[in-house]
Amino acid sequence: MIRFEKVNKWFGKHHVLQDIDFHVAAGDVAVICGPSGSGKSTLIRCINRLEPIQSGDIVVDGMSLTDKKTNITRLRAEVGFVFQQFNLYPHMTALENVTLAPLKVRKMNQNEADELGRELLEKVGIQEKASAYPAQLSGGQQQRVAIARGLAMRPKIMLFDEPTSALDPEMINEVLDVMRKLAFEGMTMAVVTHEMGFAREVANNMVFMDEGKIIETGDPERFYTHPENERTRLFLSKILSH
Amino acid sequence: MLSTFNFRVIWDYMGLFLQGLWATAWISAIGLTGALSVGIIACMMRISGKKFLSAPAIAYIELIRSTPLLVQLYFFYFGLPSLGIRFTEYQTGIFALSLNSGAYMAEILRAGVQSIPGGQVEAGIAFGLNYLQRLRYIILPQAIGVTIPPMLGQTIVLVKDSALLSLISVFELTRASQILTSERFMPAEGFLTVAVFYLLLYYILKSLSGWWQRRLIHRQA
Ligand SMILES: Nc1ncnc2c1ncn2[C@@H]1O[C@H](COP(=O)(O)OP(=O)(O)OP(=O)(O)O)[C@@H](O)[C@H]1O
Ligand SMILES: [Mg+2]
Repeated sequence: MIRFEKVNKWFGKHHVLQDIDFHVAAGDVAVICGPSGSGKSTLIRCINRLEPIQSGDIVVDGMSLTDKKTNITRLRAEVGFVFQQFNLYPHMTALENVTLAPLKVRKMNQNEADELGRELLEKVGIQEKASAYPAQLSGGQQQRVAIARGLAMRPKIMLFDEPTSALDPEMINEVLDVMRKLAFEGMTMAVVTHEMGFAREVANNMVFMDEGKIIETGDPERFYTHPENERTRLFLSKILSH
Repeated sequence: MLSTFNFRVIWDYMGLFLQGLWATAWISAIGLTGALSVGIIACMMRISGKKFLSAPAIAYIELIRSTPLLVQLYFFYFGLPSLGIRFTEYQTGIFALSLNSGAYMAEILRAGVQSIPGGQVEAGIAFGLNYLQRLRYIILPQAIGVTIPPMLGQTIVLVKDSALLSLISVFELTRASQILTSERFMPAEGFLTVAVFYLLLYYILKSLSGWWQRRLIHRQA
């Protein structure tokens, strides 16, 4: 469903992604972790071309990102994105945040879009907040609205960039619960997170990145208990100690 | 001084003043509409990231901001007819006002646009909204919210600047007192009355923008 083939990316002289080969099968959940600055965000932002790549190719649901014939708007509709900082639109209600893309990109009529929006808000457990503005919601609620918004185009793939790291600890679980539910429903997901409990429960594949390279991949149980690479071990010992 | 102040003459000329007030109001209203349209377009061009759009926008904004409105006004008033383009005084005046204020509006809007976190724009991109849709549904509604106070300031400047149109024989509020002065030679009475009317316009604008801003804040509280 998502395939990276020898992907390279530079920011100026800085080689942030180096020969990345990486694959997420349909229905699978890949969890990406690694130290700050290792290129995790860049990696998943390349998937819907929020960042362009300089060499190699990324194929998303059969569409190649480097192929000039690929309709990028259609590709983006297949990919929902959830940001660390939520990035909700503060001048719109929760429902309006969710329905904006279906209304304007998919050209749904208002009734259909509202119905879809309410259904998605119900799915993330905050249907009663449909007419609240983001500033009136807690961080956890805002991130759940953002997930509903990510689902609004009925994507086949969901990308999450550290969805819980801007949240107070007591709100992390309500967001992870929604993500678990999506994973069990068979959504294809790529998630940047350091939440080990979540990873062990839902990930099919762990990816450890450092300095722009994928250092280690593998099944989560083995990854957390018997990491092969020294750098992985060092990193895990750091995040597990607190 | 008050003993020599002739209130009667103000009353005699009240009809003229009210006509002038009305003219200033509608000239400003059209000028403001023009300035906002020009400002939005110039701002969009300037932030488009495409040189062939941003370069002319920057040239326009710099040119307007570096030259006096009176010079611009005379340029259009005397310059255009010599190029064979004929407008009425009103059209020329409103055109110059719109172009002048538009450059300032463009910069005010740009500051507003830049105050919106980049992440929201990215979210728009990620969900497939195109440039115009992002501008229309994400950026402008918020940019306009934060730019109400500076836009009010610019609107007040526009209303006051419309007085310069009297110099190309457009009839408006300031012109009314010039008429009073030349017919009865009572400049103090005429210009004081006019000042009071400008003050009135100022307070109307101020309370309108205050009401608008409170409404926006209330919605997002
Ligand atoms: N727009 C940009 N321009 C220049 N350099 C950038 C840009 N975005 C990221 N970088 C650099 O690229 C590298 C990888 O950044 P990235 O955000 O992908 O890291 P990350 O693994 O997500 O880190 P974190 O855990 O802190 O989010 C970093 O060194 C960062 O400074
Ligand atoms: Mg990151």
